[in-house]
Amino acid sequence: MADEKKFAGYVCTGCGLGERLDAGQLETTATRDGKMQSCKQHEMLCSAEGVQLIKDDIANESVTHVMIAACSKRAKVEAFNFPEVAMTRANLREGVIWVRPESDENQETTQEMADDYIRMACAELKSMSQPSASGEQTLNKNILVVGGGITGMTAAIEAAAAGYPVHLVEKSGKLGGALGSYYKVIPTRSPYDAPAENPVPGMIEAIEADDRITVHLNSTLAKTEGAPGRFNVEVATESGSSETLSIGAIVQASGWKPYDASQLPEFAHDKSADVVTNHELEALAVAANGGPIKRPSDGKEIKSVCFIQNAGQCSDKEGHLSYFSGVTDLVSIKQAMYFKELNGDCDTTILFDNLRTPGAGGEDFYRAGQQAMVTFSKGIASEVMPGDSLTVKFEDKILNEQTEMVCDLVVLATGMEPNSGPDPYAQLMVDEAEDEEEKAKAQAILENAPPSILNLQYRQGTDLPHLKNGFNDSHFICFPYETRRTGIYAAGPVRRPMDAQQARDDATGAALKAIQAAENAGLGRAAHPRSGDLSFPSFRKEGCTQCKRCTVECPFGAINEDEEGYPMYNESRCRRCGTCMGACPVRVISFENYSVETVNQQIKNVEIPEEWDEKPRILVLACENDAYPALDQAAQAGVEINPWARVIPVRCLGSVSLSWVTDALNNGYDGIVMMGCRRDDDYQCHFVRGSAMAAERMSKVGDTLDTLNLEPERVILHEVAITDVERAPQLINDMAETVEKIGLSPFKF
Amino acid sequence: MTEVIATNETILVVGGGISGMTAALEAAETGKQVVLVEKRPYVGGRVTQLFKYFPKLCFPTCGLEINQRRAKMNPNLNIITMAEVTDIKGEAGNYTATVKISPRYINENCTACGDCAKAVETEFDDEFNYNIGKRKGAYLPHRMAHPQRYVLDPAIIGTDDAQKAKEACKVNAVDLDMQEETIEFKAGAVIWATGWKPYDANKIQPYGYDRIANVITSVEFERMADPNGPTGGKLQRPSDGKEVKSVAFIQCAGSRDKNHLLHCSRICCMASLKQATYPADDVDISIYYIDIRAIDRFEDFYQTVKAKENVKFIKSKVASIVENKENGNPTLHGVDTEGYKRYADEHDLVVLAVGMEPSVDKESFPVEIVINEEGFIEPAPENGGVFAAGCSSDALDVNRAVQHATGAALRAIQVVNRVAATEG
Amino acid sequence: MSDLNTAMIEKYRSNFLKEVEANVEEGEWVKMCMQCGVCSGSCPLGKHWDHPPQEIFMMIRANKRDEVLGTDSMWMCTSCYNCIARCPRGLPITHIMHGLAVYSKRLGLTQKKQPTAEFSQIFWDNLMKKGRVNELKLGLSMYFKDGFGQGVKNAMANQKLGQNMMKAKRMNPMEFFGGHSVKDLSGFQSMVKKAQEIEEGNLKEAK
Repeated sequence: MADEKKFAGYVCTGCGLGERLDAGQLETTATRDGKMQSCKQHEMLCSAEGVQLIKDDIANESVTHVMIAACSKRAKVEAFNFPEVAMTRANLREGVIWVRPESDENQETTQEMADDYIRMACAELKSMSQPSASGEQTLNKNILVVGGGITGMTAAIEAAAAGYPVHLVEKSGKLGGALGSYYKVIPTRSPYDAPAENPVPGMIEAIEADDRITVHLNSTLAKTEGAPGRFNVEVATESGSSETLSIGAIVQASGWKPYDASQLPEFAHDKSADVVTNHELEALAVAANGGPIKRPSDGKEIKSVCFIQNAGQCSDKEGHLSYFSGVTDLVSIKQAMYFKELNGDCDTTILFDNLRTPGAGGEDFYRAGQQAMVTFSKGIASEVMPGDSLTVKFEDKILNEQTEMVCDLVVLATGMEPNSGPDPYAQLMVDEAEDEEEKAKAQAILENAPPSILNLQYRQGTDLPHLKNGFNDSHFICFPYETRRTGIYAAGPVRRPMDAQQARDDATGAALKAIQAAENAGLGRAAHPRSGDLSFPSFRKEGCTQCKRCTVECPFGAINEDEEGYPMYNESRCRRCGTCMGACPVRVISFENYSVETVNQQIKNVEIPEEWDEKPRILVLACENDAYPALDQAAQAGVEINPWARVIPVRCLGSVSLSWVTDALNNGYDGIVMMGCRRDDDYQCHFVRGSAMAAERMSKVGDTLDTLNLEPERVILHEVAITDVERAPQLINDMAETVEKIGLSPFKF
Repeated sequence: MTEVIATNETILVVGGGISGMTAALEAAETGKQVVLVEKRPYVGGRVTQLFKYFPKLCFPTCGLEINQRRAKMNPNLNIITMAEVTDIKGEAGNYTATVKISPRYINENCTACGDCAKAVETEFDDEFNYNIGKRKGAYLPHRMAHPQRYVLDPAIIGTDDAQKAKEACKVNAVDLDMQEETIEFKAGAVIWATGWKPYDANKIQPYGYDRIANVITSVEFERMADPNGPTGGKLQRPSDGKEVKSVAFIQCAGSRDKNHLLHCSRICCMASLKQATYPADDVDISIYYIDIRAIDRFEDFYQTVKAKENVKFIKSKVASIVENKENGNPTLHGVDTEGYKRYADEHDLVVLAVGMEPSVDKESFPVEIVINEEGFIEPAPENGGVFAAGCSSDALDVNRAVQHATGAALRAIQVVNRVAATEG
Repeated sequence: MSDLNTAMIEKYRSNFLKEVEANVEEGEWVKMCMQCGVCSGSCPLGKHWDHPPQEIFMMIRANKRDEVLGTDSMWMCTSCYNCIARCPRGLPITHIMHGLAVYSKRLGLTQKKQPTAEFSQIFWDNLMKKGRVNELKLGLSMYFKDGFGQGVKNAMANQKLGQNMMKAKRMNPMEFFGGHSVKDLSGFQSMVKKAQEIEEGNLKEAK
């Protein structure tokens, strides 16, 4: 591309724009105010002909920067696709004519709105350039899988089957994990009528036969540094030797650990050898070696057994698990069927409250259990009394009575706990503690934390963040493989409790995401949700004060610090949300096509009418993922928006720089509305913490207003959802009313 | 003529709901060529018709926006709407698909300005809203529909309305001569993501869905609760528009029942718990259930709803519903099995938590594939290069469907990578 | 009969479900109940049941042998088949109820004066005499089952019905004198006797 920049504007007159607006004036605005070197009109810019017009100018006139004044940037994306040039869109359709009533009295303000959006788009264009991959990336196809249980083995096999070399690291001396030592597994294929053969031995064979998979037994990760596409992982073996692997992306399948049943004194686990957990029963079944399962206490053949569901689960009692471990009802059915298979006439009773055997396979297996004469009782067990035989006291919910049963063995259906590393934010809490007491508290949490699994050399801690109950899950419903550490994907029971089949499905998905991360890192492309984005933050070292806000606030732990405390960006860890940019107090962080300057220029190029014109200006900074689409939909629905509003979409509210607010106020804006996503525990921010960070920063905006001697009502931040089609415009209109009430800003000149 | 450039390294995704879209996008973002075939005029499938997701109570369109943006930006992905796969021949690494494309009567010039809809007069039941309310004969299925192009109802073709639409369009987007077309193209692997449909509540005779106005289905309730839906989010009775003050949810309406669907539909418990949060706190809510199947973290949500004062749970499969002719209230008859209590409870509105049924019936698959008793696709090696994604494989919630679809993308990639390796 | 009861208790000891599986018609379905209660809610006579079917199934599984065999609930079943039509697990509930009633009667555990049980016995005895039901005598036996005085009262109360039936030739007063039988009465009787022997044999074997 030529170094010479050439700016061209295009004004569409279709969709009623030509009728509602003075296109000639828009053109003039683009060239005179917006400094476009050329500006053309077209009656339908998105048509093949219109698009060709632009393409020809790019090819023949060496246009490098294109300003399109037409519809919303969310519309006609495929038509207006010129990857080789920088482009901005002035939203005259959804942003102006669809939200303003058509009448003579409104004509002036409607035209002003359109002119402003053109000025803004031109100003933005002037301060941006089209990003392109740095070309420094190389493709590293090696996939690292941490954990050799069924999840990890599946991830390894599936990634290898797609042609990717795999390193499989397992802490213990053999592959197979917890499930490897089990007698049988929950059936995975129709008709789901009996426990199925354990798939682990076959998988171990497959891995041993696959020369694309390198197995590292008795090994852990001593150190993981770098980023997707260029991880350097030091694998340490028990014997003390170590080797460094070059890795493209990582699947963490560190599995689960059984709940400690000694926390359930009422069920006498520690008092009687004949009270076992579901996990412990598997060993008894294996030890039976095809014969009847024997009592641990006296070796007698078991003739009756009682399963207590949800032992220490689904309970808010101290030391219990609040969640349901997904599979434990299916596990008990499977284990009850062991007794039917091995112990002949053995009575088996399952005491449950809600029998949670979902899906087609689940319900089939429940029926199969009943068919096999497993007795299901809706009953809540309260106590197990040890003795020669065990007595289980329970409340029969159907027969509505307190009762008891006697049996040879009690199986406690206890839950699964994640085998995750320490929560990185527990470490940060220590680092960030403001006083000694807080620090001591955070320290205690940290000291009880489990050992690290990944040993990431990241500014923000060694491991994947926890979501809840210690699981390394994402909080997304639509995007379950969202991770807060790009290129590292948790899979299996470390993410949530799950059965073997679900773990295998999950591992396959995680393997795909790892492969995808490695491939995209090789091209310099961003991961979800700005998939394919080539823009990337850089900072001006001269201006940086090493304050560390960016390294602390990045929701993805993408930024490290060098020895002097300067930020070190890691392109392939970055998700391009701009939270670092919003965090930077000295405005030195920017993307090629999105920066403090690109937005500031838009703010500054809105014409602020003189005070006596009585035309306020309201700046709206709207998250482009939810609030902006809500406003677009409002426009479709014909909802009116106040003519004083000027909306600027932002990548995430987390990218909003406080300086925009200050500068807007200094420039004479009368009100500022910020719209971001929900930010509580059920957050909807696509960048996890962006919206929350923005809210925290803006809580300090009061000081700025104070200094300027302005009313606090002039700046407001709202949580807006994509469905707020009526509400989002209303919030803007409310600000117009507020301004009307408190008067125009004194900062107009 | 619709043009598709495809080779044996192309992945064909059948169905553009959340699972199909996910599989297609994940494969495309891994650098693979993908053709997505969707029966409806837009992608997103059934989740576009949901108001909220459990357990976060967030909005499906939020994720849809991201997925649609991913689709718009990705040159590897070719989406064909209003199209159905009628035949797939061949084997893993070498399939030929036949696709029938119905005419939309609106070409790519469409700017979604809406002029055609204003001009057209005929109205039809609005399928997007499960026939609650009407839409025009020229319509955008919903505001966020992608592709953002209107559709002409085939019923208006040949009428004055069609001419009116054509005349109203300033961008020459109305093409009344558009014909059904059939195209063939190659694919190396197929991801089958045709999803689910709600079980037909008319078949559950004792619940009177076909004869009692105030008995509705859970999917209809979603549309009713949506502020952007046909009632503007007001929960009002179909019979008389009265504000709803008591709602009953009937679980397993069609599920876990050998007379209907043998399987548990997995999502209905959580969906009803979610829907129990839609009405205001002064609305009495009764949930009639057999087992509440709240899996892992959903337990928290179950406890939260259970703790609400206006919500009660009755362990009972409702036996029958009789309409009180005087006030239109459905009366529920049955037995609370926890201690044997008979009830005859009147409610303003009854919501049937209808089950999930595979949307393609066993006999209609255009490709040889192993189907289980419940009609879901089995993960069988005999399926060759055809992989199920999402609810075509089991009754799944969104999170699990997406997880499953991501795995399916890898399975398809394994096949096309093998093709690439052998073809050099 | 109580011998048989003792024998059964002895044999199945702690497992009434197995006893029901072995000895009650369609008893092998009891284990398949998932306690949804749709049968109990669907029964038109439901409110007359001390224990509705779904609860009886749970009681069987909870080894409540005496309560189940001693209750008169299953005698309430009128074979409307609502429960069978609606049962999501396909349990033949009507048949199981009759099976339990028969089993309870066999073991001599049926409540005395249980009207359905009494009627059933009268019906059976009536049928056995001629190989067909003598409706006049069946009616009279029912009227007079609780003594002569009550019988006259019952007869007077239903006088009109009887007259109408006679007018409509639905009932023949001459049947009072003996009444007609099936063609091969002794053949019929020995056939039933043989069937009973086989059934008894089955139960003895079960001992």
